[in-house]
Amino acid sequence: MSNAIIEVKQLSKQFKSNVAVNNVNFNIRKGDIFGLIGPNGAGKSTLLKMIGGLIYPSSGEIHLFDHTMRENHPYFERMGLLIEEAGIFPHYSAYKNLDLIAISYGIKNRKKHIEQLLELVGLDKSNKTKVKNYSMGMKQRLGIAMALIGSPDVLILDEPINGLDPQGISEIRQLILELNKTGITLIISSHILEELSKVATTYAILHHGKIIEIISKEELLLQCEDRIELEVDDPKMTVLILENHLGIQRYKVIDDHTIYVYETDIETQQIIQSLAENKIFVHSIAKHKQSLEQYFLERTGSSGGADD
Amino acid sequence: MINLLKMDLTRFLTNKIMYVFLLVFIAFQMFGIFMLKQYEQPVEAGEILIRRMNESEFIQMMLAQTPSWILMYIAVFSVYFYMSEYNSGFYKNYISMNNARRNSVLSKILILGIFTLFMFIVMLIADLIGRSLFFQQAAIGDSGYFVKLLIGQFLLHWAFAIVVLCAVMMIKQAIPSIVIGIILSLNVFGMVAGALESLVSDTNLSAYLLVNTIVDIKDFDQINDVVHVVSVAIIFLFVFSIIAVRYKRKEDLR
Ligand SMILES: Nc1ncnc2c1ncn2[C@@H]1O[C@H](COP(=O)(O)OP(=O)(O)O)[C@@H](O)[C@H]1O
Ligand SMILES: [Mg+2]
Repeated sequence: MSNAIIEVKQLSKQFKSNVAVNNVNFNIRKGDIFGLIGPNGAGKSTLLKMIGGLIYPSSGEIHLFDHTMRENHPYFERMGLLIEEAGIFPHYSAYKNLDLIAISYGIKNRKKHIEQLLELVGLDKSNKTKVKNYSMGMKQRLGIAMALIGSPDVLILDEPINGLDPQGISEIRQLILELNKTGITLIISSHILEELSKVATTYAILHHGKIIEIISKEELLLQCEDRIELEVDDPKMTVLILENHLGIQRYKVIDDHTIYVYETDIETQQIIQSLAENKIFVHSIAKHKQSLEQYFLERTGSSGGADD
Repeated sequence: MINLLKMDLTRFLTNKIMYVFLLVFIAFQMFGIFMLKQYEQPVEAGEILIRRMNESEFIQMMLAQTPSWILMYIAVFSVYFYMSEYNSGFYKNYISMNNARRNSVLSKILILGIFTLFMFIVMLIADLIGRSLFFQQAAIGDSGYFVKLLIGQFLLHWAFAIVVLCAVMMIKQAIPSIVIGIILSLNVFGMVAGALESLVSDTNLSAYLLVNTIVDIKDFDQINDVVHVVSVAIIFLFVFSIIAVRYKRKEDLR
């Protein structure tokens, strides 16, 4: 894919005998919001640290902006990172923390830049409280502001909504969408699919260090949408009857026998009847309901998700 | 590099703990001088009375006594300055910049140099005040000799700070690193090495160890001694700076 700004190839990271990330491949396009989902210990943070240049891969390659990354490569500079906990000095105020990074980036007009960032993430710019007294949500916001210093092209947020209340979660989601609109590509990880379902454009499910599935938002929503699953002998005929007799527009032919109907307000009885009248034999018909969470758990083993 | 140094410098200069360190050091140094006055011994042949010493002789006398307080302060501060950033994870915000790993170590090294310089200035102030209070004189002596002594010892102490920096970077924990720093300040290592060496051969290579060079009284009018001090300082400075930079470049960060 030529418009990929991040390409990960056969990427692995081994800690002693523990393979935390195992032969991972994916591409991220400019403007994507890439959701990385996996239970605790799946290797999300490890993978993000490699992409952000904090740790080195045991094997495999990372390409950023079409350049192969090796140690200390300048292209890492275009990434803003908030991985695991925000890196903040607990005894300084938010302003002072931001000021120190702004100095290290050589930013002119620091005061203005910092005040804009504080406003963007919704923190009070005149707040002199030491960061150690901040709530979890305020620390996360500050962490995002810190990651935005230097105007990165890619923002990596590792479990940004972990430990936030519903109000905080929805505000951070809003912020993520706003940032995305300004052209920033985002990579966001979470151990709960539901959290990301409203923002990400692509999802990668990571489990035991391996990517089990990469799926676009549209496909995922379709997968999880309520539907009637229909098994018949002659799908072509069936489709005609569904359209003409029952007025069904939203359906999908899956294979030689299976059709999914997404208009679930129709009674199954009605479908069976219409098909029978036209001499089409129905092997089975069932309503299918699946939440995003079920979908995710099904793929990561139904043992409740967390496996460490 | 310059920007990271500016950032570290801001953090260093606005850090109250650094000033507390210096004040505590002044207080203890003056108290030490007061105790010297209380317990001043009649001297044996070849020694001089403290009240007759000039500042050069006084500094050498103080540095020759282990434990070396100034080394301990430098060790503790080196550990503190590195670990406070490492534990906060603050480096994560800038480490993706080009060459940030190398530059952040070089900047730490320079900051430790500035701290060592501050310690020397504070030591001189404390000495001069203490000596004039308790020994009624504050002569400096030959200024050429004095400057050579200060520069030589400054470089040695700075090199020591870098050795401790290397240790803390690799140990990644404050308390064990401070313990190592204090053991180094007590020159346990240098004394053991010296003793072992004297058992197996009649060379004196252990005299070229860093802390041995710091505590041995040198004659800065002798070219041999000056070369000894400067070469040990420069070698330790460079070798441990290179080790620290290389280590940081390869390190997997938390
Ligand atoms: N520095 C490390 N040393 C050893 N093992 C590690 C290290 N970092 C992570 N791991 C291990 O790698 C696996 C993945 O961890 P992590 O990437 O933190 O998962 P996640 O962020 O998805 O919860 C875990 O089994 C963890 O114990
Ligand atoms: Mg994690």
